[in-house]
Amino acid sequence: MSQTDTNKPNETKEMELGKFGKFLKDNGIDSTRKDDSINVETIVISVKDLEPALRLLKTSSETKLNMLLTISGVDYTDRIDSIYHLWSYDHNDALVIKVELPKQSQANTDTVNLTSIANFWSAANWHERETYDLVGIRYLRHPYLRRILNPWDWEGHPLRRDYKQLVDALNDKNPHSFR
Amino acid sequence: MSELLNNDLNSTDLARENAALISPELADTVTLTSIDKAINMLSQIVSPIANLARSNSVWPLTFGTSCCAIEMMCVGMSAFDISRFGSEVFRATPRQADLIITAGTITRKMASALITLYEQLPEPKYVIAMGACTITGGMFNDSYSVVQGVDRIIPVDVYLPGCPPRPEAILDALLKLQQKIRTENYAKRRVQAYQQRPVCYVDYDCGRPLEDLLAMAMEDTSLALDQK
Repeated sequence: MSQTDTNKPNETKEMELGKFGKFLKDNGIDSTRKDDSINVETIVISVKDLEPALRLLKTSSETKLNMLLTISGVDYTDRIDSIYHLWSYDHNDALVIKVELPKQSQANTDTVNLTSIANFWSAANWHERETYDLVGIRYLRHPYLRRILNPWDWEGHPLRRDYKQLVDALNDKNPHSFR
Repeated sequence: MSELLNNDLNSTDLARENAALISPELADTVTLTSIDKAINMLSQIVSPIANLARSNSVWPLTFGTSCCAIEMMCVGMSAFDISRFGSEVFRATPRQADLIITAGTITRKMASALITLYEQLPEPKYVIAMGACTITGGMFNDSYSVVQGVDRIIPVDVYLPGCPPRPEAILDALLKLQQKIRTENYAKRRVQAYQQRPVCYVDYDCGRPLEDLLAMAMEDTSLALDQK
């Protein structure tokens, strides 16, 4: 998925592939490099390549990125990113993988779907539940996709940009706050 | 003695509610009203002594949800030594405790659990709202998940400000609570006792009553056994 950054018109040229980008290209998976986050290589890959890429990076003896540090989500109003932080004990290496998920429509923004990786990477189970809870990415085929931090009857996803905070008897101070 | 009785005739709801039901023939016999009178009278004699004993053995519940709990642990250790005031026995179950020190931020998810704990405490029960978070929501005031003050869900006896309060402040709050207990009257306390409500245990993940889930599980196991 090659999405040009509209916010930074100066950076039109594509960045050179890094170590893991080249490794993925050798194995037939396309990726786009982004600016490094804290000296860690950051790549964007398409939705359909996510699962094969993660399987490859986890098991291949060349990379051995066999530790999933975290899964997080970021709301960019027009799209939502699902971000995977991988780490390798053996090579002391790290990689950040982003998957960009465009929102389906403004009216029904809850439908942001992505395939779960919890079936072959059990560390992802709770992280995906948390991302679903707070950002609202629906991980399909997840074994137990329920809210993990907020109560079961919570409405909306709190870290979305368009989230409106509930005002009720437990929480009605500061009507002029930024909520 | 009769003066005592007359003063407290209308002090309890029990007497007031049942006054119309009791026929005049039975007015001289032992009725609910007369039991209430006796309780009122006795409580004036017994309460000061009982309160002195109770105030020196306030057992707190082990309830800490964030950094205030560190200070609460500290006050139990030998440097500050809450056992000088008879409160060293931090109980792990609300059934044996008299006091909740709500040490830490209460989130909306924790609120239901805290209400359950409060309802499980035997009467008389007390609450010290410890720290800025449990008084107003503190610095998490604006957060989507925080209850803005524990007094929105349970009644509070002593407010203890600080972020977190020093262990000496906890001792001070405990002494304030002891003063409050010593001035109490049993009969009056009984009137304003917290009304117990039936508690429904709900699964945290899906919100279904635990009874239903248990019934489903039993059905599944019996089906599986039948198939064998």
